[in-house]
Amino acid sequence: MGKHWLHKFWLAGLIVCLAGPAVAADTVKVGVIGTFSGPFARWGQQFRQAIAVYQKQHGTSVNGIPIEVIFRDDGGPDPARARQLADELILREKVQFLGGFVFTPNALAVADLVTESKTPTVIFNAATAVITRKSPYFVRVSQTIPQVAAPIGKWAAQNKVKTAITAVSDYGPGYDAEEYFSKAFKAGGGQVLESIRIPLATTDFAPFFERIGQKKPDALFIFGPGGPPTVGMINTWASRLKPNGIQLLATAETQEIDLPKIGPAALGVVSSFHYTETVDNPLNKALWADLIQMFGQDTVPDLASAQSYDGMHFIYLTVAKLGARFNPDDAIQFMSHLAIDSPRGPIAIDPKTRDIVQNVYLRKVERRGDKLQNINFETIPMVRDPWKEDHPE
Amino acid sequence: MAGARLGALWHVVPWVTALVVYYTAGGYLSLGTNVLIMILLTLSLDLVLGHAGIVTLGHAAYFGFGAYAAGNFAVHVHNGSLAGLLFAGALTGVFGLLTGALILHTEGVTLMMLTLAIASLVAEFANHAHFLTGGDDGLQGIRMAPLLGLFRFDLYGHTAYLYSLGVLCAWFVATWRIVRSPFGRSLDGIRQSPRRMRAIGTPVWRRLVAVYGLSAAMAGSAGALSAQTTRYASLSALSILVSGTAVVTLALGGTRRLYGAFLGATVYGVVQSFAAEIDPFRWMLVVGLMLMGVVLFAEKGLMSLVDLGRNALVGAFRRAARR
Amino acid sequence: MLYVTLLLDGIAYGMVLFIISVGLTVTMGLMRVVNLAHGAFAMTGGYVAATLVKAGVPFFLAAALSAGAVGLLGAGAELTIYRPLYRKGELAQALMTFGLAFVAIAVLTMIYGARLEPLPLPKALAGLVDIGYRTYPAYRLFLIAVGLVLAVILWRVIDGSLYGARLRAAVDNPRMARAVGINVNRLFTVTFGAGCALASLGCVIGAELLPLEPFYALRYLVLFLVVVGVGGYGNFKGSFIAALTIGMIDSAGKFFFPGVAAYLLYGIVLALLLWRPHGLVPPRSAG
Repeated sequence: MGKHWLHKFWLAGLIVCLAGPAVAADTVKVGVIGTFSGPFARWGQQFRQAIAVYQKQHGTSVNGIPIEVIFRDDGGPDPARARQLADELILREKVQFLGGFVFTPNALAVADLVTESKTPTVIFNAATAVITRKSPYFVRVSQTIPQVAAPIGKWAAQNKVKTAITAVSDYGPGYDAEEYFSKAFKAGGGQVLESIRIPLATTDFAPFFERIGQKKPDALFIFGPGGPPTVGMINTWASRLKPNGIQLLATAETQEIDLPKIGPAALGVVSSFHYTETVDNPLNKALWADLIQMFGQDTVPDLASAQSYDGMHFIYLTVAKLGARFNPDDAIQFMSHLAIDSPRGPIAIDPKTRDIVQNVYLRKVERRGDKLQNINFETIPMVRDPWKEDHPE
Repeated sequence: MAGARLGALWHVVPWVTALVVYYTAGGYLSLGTNVLIMILLTLSLDLVLGHAGIVTLGHAAYFGFGAYAAGNFAVHVHNGSLAGLLFAGALTGVFGLLTGALILHTEGVTLMMLTLAIASLVAEFANHAHFLTGGDDGLQGIRMAPLLGLFRFDLYGHTAYLYSLGVLCAWFVATWRIVRSPFGRSLDGIRQSPRRMRAIGTPVWRRLVAVYGLSAAMAGSAGALSAQTTRYASLSALSILVSGTAVVTLALGGTRRLYGAFLGATVYGVVQSFAAEIDPFRWMLVVGLMLMGVVLFAEKGLMSLVDLGRNALVGAFRRAARR
Repeated sequence: MLYVTLLLDGIAYGMVLFIISVGLTVTMGLMRVVNLAHGAFAMTGGYVAATLVKAGVPFFLAAALSAGAVGLLGAGAELTIYRPLYRKGELAQALMTFGLAFVAIAVLTMIYGARLEPLPLPKALAGLVDIGYRTYPAYRLFLIAVGLVLAVILWRVIDGSLYGARLRAAVDNPRMARAVGINVNRLFTVTFGAGCALASLGCVIGAELLPLEPFYALRYLVLFLVVVGVGGYGNFKGSFIAALTIGMIDSAGKFFFPGVAAYLLYGIVLALLLWRPHGLVPPRSAG
């Protein structure tokens, strides 16, 4: 095509030079939009690592059809950029699948584009409940916040916690967590004394937690975006409220990737989540072993790894079933009815909602040898997203 | 005489380039539209920072304000593009006048901090005002009617690109006239020495507020374009990253050169996009080195390199003509 | 007694802000360089210290060594890339230091990965101390102590000493300063290095409150700028008072009115700057 010489920027020329031999005609291209730079770079890093492990285990082709993964960086919650990237991937690279999406706004921004271009999109993370309603071409393999927040509320109410306070980060996922924890907790007979929303940019949590301590709840439920705010919340709880016997309840906050930074302060935190690193199944063990082998001793699988691993599996299965030139509607039909084994345990998609159905584990942070780990003590099987049930279409 | 006419010819280059891009960009057209919108934002910053000397780290507040204004107009009132654009631009201009009136009696670092504070407060408000902004899920459901009733906003982004180019052109002409007017000259004077300007009777504060409001309207138009062409408005439009990037692209291209905004935004946008394509994980290194390189070797911004090239060309032309 | 806790919390938070921003008060305030790479120098020091601590070096020694290393790095940077910037104006300085911050983030991500880097406090500081009516984190008391010591030292050194006078002279009028025999170049290099060393120290000491990760350089930049900006460009008394004021109002606000917590910091900044546009402690030479 004559367009290439007009791109006079040398970087473009470099791409062309490095492109190498022409790509096979029946390659299936998968565009993964993740966050590879900025404060949330670890999400993209984990996507990339898990996909590398998957392709090492399953090869880079399916029945002779090469699968090419193209990564693009959205830099964080940046819907305009996500949309631009999706544009380029769909229109220029002609990808047949989109994958990725760490943040809800980014997924929402591409919804109409994905619908108009009929591109099956596998959501590797974005967890706000409403997302799969925004396009018939969205299939989510990750989680919804209500799905993982409700079980801990229910557990608390059944386990001697009579009063609780919620302290969530001041953004959409936080509100979802607050709503569904409180709902389940109250349904079990608990009383929520106060709901506090903590600004995302907060660095010092002490005044909030002092206020919580003054009210003397039996437990505190927190929700944070991962990274520094989460670490700050847990550490502050440990130094201000733990000595007074206030139990900490959480969801993703004690993932092993952050535990070394939090340290012994995290001992005793009870959480409900869909992925625990210690889940004992061969897929999880293989994922972890391969991650360590390929990326170093300190690599820990996390929800991002398991979810993107499963996302790739969905794509591979679809291509295996439907071939390289498939009808997008058939692909969505196929994926909406999938039930597979995942490093997390068994997962399935609910055909009505195209959303994930999976085990939710109740676990506690304990010491195992010289490491801190989340240890499962109860499994709630195949939980659907409660939000969809509360808000029928 | 020939020189002046020849000088006017240079104006053609950026616009012709923009049209060439339209016909050749293919799947990159949405990048092109985003670059055009960025140019408009950077241009608005050149007016207020380059000419009037107001160092602002919060111009994204007006960009985002315009985006949400246009988005809400499209969803609740009328989804015509030009109507929404005018509405958003005007409303943002008023907002700019009000905030400017509040803070423009200060200067220097204090003023910079105040712009930062206002931008942050606006962002926090937007985070909470779900009914207006959708919170951090963003404003959804924007469906634009065909431009001028004729041109549908298509998947490939053809209409969006030309629409943005047209708006940019209109604002560019306006800015060009303003900068060369007595009002614009007085702004340069104010930038160089407010005290001296006051001494000769210039109503400094009033001029600053006026240009600030105008710049806000321009930034708001850019935001409106963003919301209309992507059919989405979100909190990231209000972020300090947008403000900071605008300042960076302005400095990169060269201040007070009007086309500096074009060059800076284009180079930054394209380099970032391509660097991120080659290596999504390390593009920051490339961009950072580029920024440092420009400062160390092309201090008046990239426009100074363009000048060098232009002068060399003209010189060669003259030498050839003499023979 | 509750108010004592609130006061301590507010002061401790203010001290963190002061300690971390004090390096910027030196480079941006005193030397008038728009140094958006301040966070990058701080962060580099944090990573050096974290690596040392992981290798078994005691916390305080690691803090001192990393401060020294970053000080040298800063001095080197001043000699090479900052020196040409002095005459190039604020925009050029902003641009270059912003690029420098990008480079630092990219390089540290390549070396350490995108996750949080643990920088554990020594056991003595990590626990709780009985202060009579309750147990209180030892770390916060430590912050208050360090902040006070630092403030006093800097007060004496910069505002009160010959070195300080020389520095202020060199910044106000380099040509004149050279004429009276002040080695302006060496003064600038040493001072800039010191500013970076302070930044590093601030990062290491404050790491419990502001955790270390590659985006640190830009994530907290606004906080540093705010302290310097509110305090008054270039004096330690101003930064100190600004940091404490912001810290206390922010903390008290979060406790009593958590609903408006999000608006507090910038609301305070707005109010303070509109009230005192020349900074909380205006410079001695007005204008």
